[in-house]
Amino acid sequence: MSLRQSMAGLHTWGGLLPSWLLYVIILAGTIACFDKELDRWMRPALHAGEQASMGADQVRDWLQRNVKDELHAFWMHPPTEREPYWRLGWEVDKTQRVQSIAFDPASGQPMAETVGGDFFFVLHYALHAGQAGIYIVGLAGMFMLVALVSGVIIHRRIFKDFFTLRPRANGQRAWLDAHNLFGVVGFPFHLVLAYTGVAIFVSSYMPAGLQVAYQNDVEHFFSEVMGAYHREELHRPAAPPVSLDALVAESRQRWGGGEPGWISVHHPGDASAVVDIRRFGTSRIAQPKETLTYDAASGELLHRQQAPAGYSTYSWLAGLHMAQFGGSLVRALYLLLGLAGCALLVGGIQVWLRKREARGGAGIGVVRALNGAVFAGLPLASLALLWGNRLIPAGLAERASAEAWVFVGSWLLVALWAVLARRQPRRLLSQQLALGAVLASGLPLLNGLTSAQGHLLASLPRGDWALAGVDLFLLAGGLLCALCAWHLAKPQAVAPARGRRVLAEEVA
Amino acid sequence: MLLAFALSYLAMTALCLAMPRHHKLLLGGEPRPTRRRGLRALAVLGLGFGLALCGLLHGGEIGAVLWLCQLMLAGLLLVAVLAWRERWVLPVAVLLPALGVAALLF
Repeated sequence: MSLRQSMAGLHTWGGLLPSWLLYVIILAGTIACFDKELDRWMRPALHAGEQASMGADQVRDWLQRNVKDELHAFWMHPPTEREPYWRLGWEVDKTQRVQSIAFDPASGQPMAETVGGDFFFVLHYALHAGQAGIYIVGLAGMFMLVALVSGVIIHRRIFKDFFTLRPRANGQRAWLDAHNLFGVVGFPFHLVLAYTGVAIFVSSYMPAGLQVAYQNDVEHFFSEVMGAYHREELHRPAAPPVSLDALVAESRQRWGGGEPGWISVHHPGDASAVVDIRRFGTSRIAQPKETLTYDAASGELLHRQQAPAGYSTYSWLAGLHMAQFGGSLVRALYLLLGLAGCALLVGGIQVWLRKREARGGAGIGVVRALNGAVFAGLPLASLALLWGNRLIPAGLAERASAEAWVFVGSWLLVALWAVLARRQPRRLLSQQLALGAVLASGLPLLNGLTSAQGHLLASLPRGDWALAGVDLFLLAGGLLCALCAWHLAKPQAVAPARGRRVLAEEVA
Repeated sequence: MLLAFALSYLAMTALCLAMPRHHKLLLGGEPRPTRRRGLRALAVLGLGFGLALCGLLHGGEIGAVLWLCQLMLAGLLLVAVLAWRERWVLPVAVLLPALGVAALLF
């Protein structure tokens, strides 16, 4: 067996089996490019674009008034351009359970709970399955790297067919062209994103060094790797803390005008309490690594982060993946290329299907059902999540989990539908597209009905493109779905003879 | 940035025309070796100027990332036009740089 033959087998099966999982990861990551814009869309209290007037001390006061448990740590993030509100999170000691809230900029009270755009971010890197999900995603990412490299090896005419796409050719040929096109032209993006994505959790995927050199002491490992500061608990009650706002002001001065990002306090009830203030910045690919650590009681500067070269490299790779630099332009390009990645997967599966539909083979029904359940199921469930976000009453307890259940429930329904209708894939797809068109184009309308300041007629005149962009994207997507559904619902034309002739000429 | 995208599209079109198959389809006839070399040189120029422009506008680090991303999208756009509206390939190659220059000036 030649190298190319063995790689072809690897590419076919190593590509097919994880491709539905990869589709979920890639599409969720693509949506998460605009997670903060989506977050704002999902919180009508933020639609008017009011400036928050709270300070860090007021956020801490709220926490002290409302949470009586002893805390392991709490952290908060000041308003930024993309997230114009205070965020607060905390972990109760010895529970490992993290809670978080967001404050309404106008009233200073917590806003109605929502899973927010973060839902897609967590789906992207952990499938909402915790550490196990991170391992599954990592495995899928490694399979993607294998598929990319083996794809290059088995592609015989990378440069000759670089610009070739023959939509009028027979099914398998046309889909193979499309698969090759997205794979070859988008290759640098897919390779870099798969590699950096796997690299972000390198300490989870390759833990041997950590286990041997640090006896599995994760905190010690990270503070040393990041050049950060860590102080063990003293088990003595803490002295009254200094003002966080004063520490923020001092940090601004030390950075020469830089803005603060995450402000976190470790062991707030213990004499060992420290305040970390991270610097926020979007002007470089890597996030700034200039964290300042203060004593929470005296306000004395304990440590200034000095990241070693290895960690700087790591954060450059992570930054390249997370696209927090360069503004909306970078995120828009990542969004389009991420969609190209989804098209790559869909194209690959269609090649597999068309080849076997022609000569018959096992597994066609399963693959078709999975296609209908995942390729259409995830976008439809995401749209349903946004509907749920607006229709679930604001005062409901556990509102965020209700939203998540809307997502899960609608996905299960679509999956069931896809399994039942798997014998007529064309009809199924056309109906799913029609449903997608209704759901997507209905959302801007629903937004208009449920938010006085958030709809297009209000956000466009304001020049609020971050908010209007979500609605416009949904409208465009709905329109596109409607066009495709209409196109598919037309009776299928007999393959024209011209296609064959052009193909023959091109091959010659 | 639109000009950088236009330059990338132009470079991709030049590379495409340097291949006999696409040259026959778009311009008719087999391209001579000198013309093929000329087109490739033009493509290198387009790529180089595009990269330089991105670097000037957004700094070397972010500019390079932006350039590579939009280059891939320019390639996808060209192939889509080539596959469905092959007659528009060359008009778009003229229109895009014109729009890019206009966007830069106004």
